[in-house]
Amino acid sequence: MLSERLESMRESVRAKEHACHRRQEAPDVVSECDAEALSWPRRVSRLLRRQCEAEAPVIEPGQRIVFTRTVPDVPPVYDEASWAAKFADGRAHELGPISNICADWSMPLRQGLEGRRAACETALAEFADDPEAVEFLESAVESIDSVLALAGRYAEAAHACGRDDLAEMLAKVPARTPQTFHEALQSLRFMHAALWMNGHYHVGLGRFDQYMRPYLQADLQTERIDLAEAEELLAEFFLSLNRDSDLYPGVQQGDNGQSLMLGGVTRDGECAVNELTYMVLRAARDVNMIDPKINLRVTRDTDIKLLELAAELTRKGLGFPQYSNDEVVIPGLVAHGYDLEDARDYTVAACWEYIIPSRGMDVVNIGAVSFPAAVNETVSELLPQNISFDALCAGIRKNVRAQVGRLVGSYRNLILPPAPYYSVLMHDCVERGRDLSQGAKYNNFGIHGAGSANAADALQAVKAFVFDEGSVAPDTLVDALRSNYENAEVLRAQLASGAKVGNNDDAADGQLIFLFDCLADACEEEGDNGRGGVVRAGTGSAMYYVWLARGHEGMCEPVVGATADGRLAGEFFSSSLAPSPGVQIRGPFSVLQSYGKLDYQRICNGGPVTMELSDSVFRSEETIHKVALLIRSFVQFGCQQLQLNTLDVKTLEDAKAHPEQHRNLIVRVWGWSGYFCELAPEYQDHIIARHKHVF
Amino acid sequence: MATREQDMESGIIFDIKEFAILDGPGLRTTVFLKGCPLRCRWCHNPEGMSTEPQIMRSESDQRLVGERWTADRLATHLNGQASVLRENEGGVTFSGGEPLMQAEFVAAVVRRLDDMHVLVDTAGHGSAEAMRLLAGCSDLIHYDLKLMDPDAHQRFTGKPNGRILENLKLLDRLGVPTVIRVPLVPGLTDIEGNLAEIAHFVGKLACISRVELLPYNRAAGGKYAACGMRFDPGCDEDASRSVCLDVFREHGLHAILV
Repeated sequence: MLSERLESMRESVRAKEHACHRRQEAPDVVSECDAEALSWPRRVSRLLRRQCEAEAPVIEPGQRIVFTRTVPDVPPVYDEASWAAKFADGRAHELGPISNICADWSMPLRQGLEGRRAACETALAEFADDPEAVEFLESAVESIDSVLALAGRYAEAAHACGRDDLAEMLAKVPARTPQTFHEALQSLRFMHAALWMNGHYHVGLGRFDQYMRPYLQADLQTERIDLAEAEELLAEFFLSLNRDSDLYPGVQQGDNGQSLMLGGVTRDGECAVNELTYMVLRAARDVNMIDPKINLRVTRDTDIKLLELAAELTRKGLGFPQYSNDEVVIPGLVAHGYDLEDARDYTVAACWEYIIPSRGMDVVNIGAVSFPAAVNETVSELLPQNISFDALCAGIRKNVRAQVGRLVGSYRNLILPPAPYYSVLMHDCVERGRDLSQGAKYNNFGIHGAGSANAADALQAVKAFVFDEGSVAPDTLVDALRSNYENAEVLRAQLASGAKVGNNDDAADGQLIFLFDCLADACEEEGDNGRGGVVRAGTGSAMYYVWLARGHEGMCEPVVGATADGRLAGEFFSSSLAPSPGVQIRGPFSVLQSYGKLDYQRICNGGPVTMELSDSVFRSEETIHKVALLIRSFVQFGCQQLQLNTLDVKTLEDAKAHPEQHRNLIVRVWGWSGYFCELAPEYQDHIIARHKHVF
Repeated sequence: MATREQDMESGIIFDIKEFAILDGPGLRTTVFLKGCPLRCRWCHNPEGMSTEPQIMRSESDQRLVGERWTADRLATHLNGQASVLRENEGGVTFSGGEPLMQAEFVAAVVRRLDDMHVLVDTAGHGSAEAMRLLAGCSDLIHYDLKLMDPDAHQRFTGKPNGRILENLKLLDRLGVPTVIRVPLVPGLTDIEGNLAEIAHFVGKLACISRVELLPYNRAAGGKYAACGMRFDPGCDEDASRSVCLDVFREHGLHAILV
């Protein structure tokens, strides 16, 4: 339960009352940068400086953790033509600025920004002869000073409105080492928000229960505060993460990547669960808003009490926690060249991709292979030529290989803009005098395989009915696909009746394994990705389950029409790892058995098995215990990642008809949660359609 | 022609449901056996009544319900989940329909199971031999009791309750741990007199671990039309009642509303 103070703060945040402070125009950074002919790194730090200067401090009565963004936009650092010219020799990733990674929150918190500034000064002395390093480090210093100046102005404002408690704290953090849990939260709030203000996005919060724990522990040991007080502060911090989230870029509102990770093991392999792990789950449950998005690392030995608490959070219908299986993820990362200590330290990027905080400059989502296109195109092209099933599979393999080749090829000359401030928060960038954009310890790419269940079902239908049974003629099938099963309902129904992924059927699951083998092989064959890294295969689908079926502006993948699993053109594909929409499934164990057959050592980029639970399964402590057991079983079945959603179809349908009455209804969309009423209708429809698989 | 032995080694099933949270402890998979001697008017599984496969039709689709499985095939299927179910406090539940009608099949499956907790969910109307057979392969029994008055039982379920009560006493003599389950049908089973009689009867049995009262399921009639049947529960479905658990406590029984 939230305190009365936080309950009213929650209402206010949800109503975006603080948006009234968003009055100021974004500063014009381009003109002065052009006038001074500044380099790219200096432009980026100048941007942060002007952004910080333009902020007007907001201190609301009773607030204990401050910072509210008042400058909604992030202005450009180049005019359009010059910006485009920067990428003439290569390409940008998405919007350009570094995104979807995780800072080393432990180190900058511990050192304070003054400590990081001192590190820059040391490096400046060391690299005095290296103009590029000097430019980077001076930009880093300007960035640090800008954030410190902003905190200073907040301190003055606090003093001016009689909040000496805040003023005193803001004089200490983020400049220096926090002495209390409260100070650590406040320090993190500034350091994290500044990344967004600098144009970075999908800014993760990493292993929160690890790096914040020393501060909590110190407080508890000296009895400065008790657990309840700490939890109140934590809940307020979580509320603060929801203040600016509508300003963040994303495909849909809520797709913002403010994810954090709990539990797992330490870098030494010891159990990392602590009192803060539990506290975060409780606070997230009570705050009951879309941020931060909670992830929990589990093993078969995870305390069932922790899983029960997690199940209570699942019950809220927020779509998190998302669960990751350490027993599969850590060896998978090691198999892809990550050091064991680093692999043990993994967290998730915005949605589900596994990254290493502080040391990872992985670009985990350069795109997705369209499995449905691979199967459909190959079937249409080769099937009429009277080929064998093996030849058909070879064709699909070639198609997947070509898709991967195109994606990776287009990223071989990836250009990342300088990121002096982000570099300050990462391991060894300042110390080496090298901007993060030049690379970190890990520089891998990730590619997902989208629409996998539909594609596997389609391939299995072709095998069963065209090759094994011979009951469907190749030309008949190809014609039916072209005509979207016009006058071919009997054929469509026959194809739809075949074996499907998700029922622990070896035939259908075998096709799924084959498709991901093709993807993993293709990624391996790419070798070096052009940045000294490899290409990791993954199982997520992001928005592709909608885009591949219906198209989207700017999308380069082809729209896929009717498919051989009996799916009509325009119908959605499966999302990440989930049975095809509308397929009869025996239950969650069969789904987990199906997906437990994949070799996650070869597909370690992430992407969850996604299952919907009816809200009625949470009816009692006894049944919540069973949900906890179900979470544990996902580890035992050998799956990698699990997304459990709680769904009440009637509520969703009502919310679509009467959005005004369901303003606060939160749903999981793909790797993130959002307010149902703020989603585009096609995404609303897909979520409603998921009720076919509710267990 | 199938030999009698082959018949025993196969059975007809109308559903297999995983993560059946109300069918016993821990993580469970429930096998629904097709065919039941009772015709409880409020039954929410009408497709479980007939022993024959049948077509269920809805507006958009139709499917054949009822599939013959051999004991080998079913046991292999269940054994694939055995270790995980076992490690999560659970196992397999045989429900229906009425497992007593296919007791030899159930026993044949259980013999092939890989050390799993077995629960049989029965309404008790069957031969003593069948009950002995099931009792011998069960770790726990869920035993439905509906109405204690024999005439009312005949009227609302199509059979008298004599054998049901005798079989329950048999389970007690055999010492099989048993949970009594009472569906709360408004105005019929949930009236105080009936609940008190149930409490009085089961209070004398040592095998009872607890009594579970199952709230009336408003969606009970949902599948009748698809089965080509008419739903007439014989009760006022809208009558909501508060159920008094005290009568069970008076007899030293642990009763819960699930």
